[in-house]
Amino acid sequence: MTPAGEPTVLSGRNLRKDYPMNGAAVHALRGVSLEVRSGEYVAIAGPSGSGKSTLLQLIGGIDVPSAGEVEILGTRLDTLSDRELTRLRLTRLGFIFQRFHLLPVLTARENVELPMAEAGIPVRERRARALELLAYVGLEHRAGHRATQLSGGEMQRVAIARALANRPVLLLADEPTGELDAATGGEILSLFRRLNQDGTTLVVVTHDERLAAEAGRVIHMLDGHILGAGE
Amino acid sequence: MSGLGWAVRSLIRQRLRTALAVIGIAISAAMLLDMVMLSGGIEKSFAELLLAKGYQIRLTPKGTLPFDTEATLDRASSIVARLRRDTAIASAGAVLGTSLYGRSRDSLVTLVGYGIQPEAQGVYQVQRGQDLARHDTLGVLLSASAAGLLRAEVGGTVSLVGRLDPQVATAGVSRQLVVRGIVRWVYDYRGQPSVGTILPVMQALAAVGPDDRASLVLVKARSDAAAPALAERLREEFPRLEVYSVADLVRFFKQRLVYFRQLSYILATMSLVVTVLLITTLLTITVNERLGEIATLRAIGIGRSTVVRQVFIEGAVLTVLGAVLGIALGLGTARYLDSILTSFPGLPAAFSFFVPRRETLTAAALVLLVTGSLAGLYPAWLAARAPIAATLRSEAT
Amino acid sequence: MGTYARRYRVLAGLLFIIGGSPVAAQVAEVAVERRLAEELGLAVGDTLRLGPAVEPLTTLGVVSAIYEPMPDPAEIAKRERHIRMHLPDLAELLGAPDRVDRYGVGLRPGASADTAARVLNRTAFGYRAYTSRAIASESSQTFLVVSRFHRAIAVITIVASAVFLLCIMLLKVEERRLDAAVMRFVGVRRRTIFGALLLEAALIAALGSVAGSGLAYLAGAATNAYYRRFFDTGLTFSLITPEIIAFSVGLSLGLGIVAGSVAAWRLVHTRPLVLWGRG
Repeated sequence: MTPAGEPTVLSGRNLRKDYPMNGAAVHALRGVSLEVRSGEYVAIAGPSGSGKSTLLQLIGGIDVPSAGEVEILGTRLDTLSDRELTRLRLTRLGFIFQRFHLLPVLTARENVELPMAEAGIPVRERRARALELLAYVGLEHRAGHRATQLSGGEMQRVAIARALANRPVLLLADEPTGELDAATGGEILSLFRRLNQDGTTLVVVTHDERLAAEAGRVIHMLDGHILGAGE
Repeated sequence: MSGLGWAVRSLIRQRLRTALAVIGIAISAAMLLDMVMLSGGIEKSFAELLLAKGYQIRLTPKGTLPFDTEATLDRASSIVARLRRDTAIASAGAVLGTSLYGRSRDSLVTLVGYGIQPEAQGVYQVQRGQDLARHDTLGVLLSASAAGLLRAEVGGTVSLVGRLDPQVATAGVSRQLVVRGIVRWVYDYRGQPSVGTILPVMQALAAVGPDDRASLVLVKARSDAAAPALAERLREEFPRLEVYSVADLVRFFKQRLVYFRQLSYILATMSLVVTVLLITTLLTITVNERLGEIATLRAIGIGRSTVVRQVFIEGAVLTVLGAVLGIALGLGTARYLDSILTSFPGLPAAFSFFVPRRETLTAAALVLLVTGSLAGLYPAWLAARAPIAATLRSEAT
Repeated sequence: MGTYARRYRVLAGLLFIIGGSPVAAQVAEVAVERRLAEELGLAVGDTLRLGPAVEPLTTLGVVSAIYEPMPDPAEIAKRERHIRMHLPDLAELLGAPDRVDRYGVGLRPGASADTAARVLNRTAFGYRAYTSRAIASESSQTFLVVSRFHRAIAVITIVASAVFLLCIMLLKVEERRLDAAVMRFVGVRRRTIFGALLLEAALIAALGSVAGSGLAYLAGAATNAYYRRFFDTGLTFSLITPEIIAFSVGLSLGLGIVAGSVAAWRLVHTRPLVLWGRG
């Protein structure tokens, strides 16, 4: 259910993304618009090459649209400098990737602390919060282990804890269960459910039907277009 | 987790390549250090040698360098007397260098002879026994080599002969002298058999006859600061002589060894180039390998400056490790290279080409650190401009 | 035995004498070396005043020839200038008519220099005889020291290059670890992968060797050009012979191949899953 009356956290209007490949232009997005309100759990589904990840990257400020605009909490991303955009991603957004992308030489706790260190949070405070977040995702007993010593599911949970480090208003996840087996994927599913129940706004790109089924709203994409938004 | 800790862990993760890089940098650092020592060490060592006894000025026959030829000054005693009357001069003494012979059992051995004025000498340091007295016509000082050749010790006697006449197979002059002391002759090469007597005795023994001649006159100014001005004044007062300050002699010496100075610059530059290449290549490949990691960091909000700083820190850690190891290695290789170069025939034994000094080590380390840091510029730039979206896309495929 | 006498005596311009007529001339003939003539602006026919000390310069000399001295490596760094006079003229100038520093002795063909030197030394009093070979050996000690120094630097450079090569090869090969993993997954043999990487290393080493040889040739030419001008001499300072090229290329090729082999061996003996990042 869309939380009616809740403020809009994210809006994308007429988004287009073209990029060159082997001399030809690939139209990854062909005029996509969407809106996400605070507290929503939105899934973006579609076959490979439909533009799901591209859309996620645009709304996350990782990539720049060829046309159209993105607003997060009322701020247009195209008005921000690279430094301001980076700061926005650090403090207002959280990213979760298919391949986790933890730093292998850091421990689970240090990986979670990383965004907080960048945000200038004092050592003691960020250490405590990191442990708190790891407990939230059920990994407080693995806090001192290096990322390379964790299983796939554990790595993804650490990545989720990292994404929550600076209390983002919006969590963006790109195929978060893509590298996981069914059982482990189910754990992530539960975690996302809990996050949304605790008030986190989620936008998840996924092939996983279970994950899509958990969402309050599913946006289907094909060939760079949104087919429809189902609830 | 500090940036330094992060960088160290990243380097430890790839032990072999890190170890090889550090060794490579260490060897280059060692070479750099050695060349920095060589470029400045030659003249410093020579200057120290010249000032070993505090004599800042030398007077020689016109157009010659000290002990470079057989030319001599005549009327040496009057030159010395005139200099000693000069109130700006603390001490002045003449030295005659010549060749003569010593009897060792049934044979004659060739010796280098120094005629000195013990009250004002700057060419030896007494190691055993005692110095010659001012008018000691019966005493002689020996180098350790000469003592060995002549089988003499302090208190013993030696027989010195000069002006050999091959026609009648006799010596024109012969003296029995008592060994007063074993000395280290400051300008002797290793193993040089040298003997020293007071000037008149050596003048008598010298091949050119007992004239009032000397090879050079040493002058000590009352202060080091006054020496250059004094040298200038003496040049005007003695226009028929060459007057050299230590700086003048160092300049001539530098000219003679210009090759080593230039070689040291070339090799030092090459060392730096190798260091830069090694660090740049290593970090560039490392950055390329970790582009996905870098793109993720940027995506989650880690700023460019943090990413760039990490690259620089990694480069700096490699450089510091390499520099520390390199300095230790460089000191060792310097000793080895010095042992080669100081075997030049005729080179004073007290002379060194590679002299480790604090300022040399500091200069080499600083140059290396700056260069190593700059070597991280290109890989840091690569890291900074890593395209987040494109990299994440390619990582996903 | 034939003999000729030489006398060396150093003055403010260095006097250098060759043997000649036994009778001193009224006006001495003087041969001046080219550089001195250029510096003093002398030409054949000009006169000089000569003396054993700065004053008095009582002897008149006439420039009868300007000559180019044989390039002597031992002399190039010194700023000495030479003239040549007939022995009797110099002897009279120095006031020591019957004195020389050394003799040069030429032997009849077939006579042994070592034997002659021994015979002379047995009867010598006040002099020693040396063979030319012994003197050459003694006087070339300086260059032997320089050679040893160069060799030491070369060894250090080779060690540094070897480490550098190994490091670079390791890095380059590790860059290909995903490719190697995929190849192993699809069944390509270790030997094939190793051979491909080795071939690549050999090619890089070969290219580097050729480039290095070219660079060395250019550096050598630049060195000779620079120092010939710097010292005003015709000496050769850097000589690159076919043997040196062969040695250098062989060494660099060998080092490159060894480094590549080590890196490739390490890669092919790592489990494919580890290469893939999942092991």
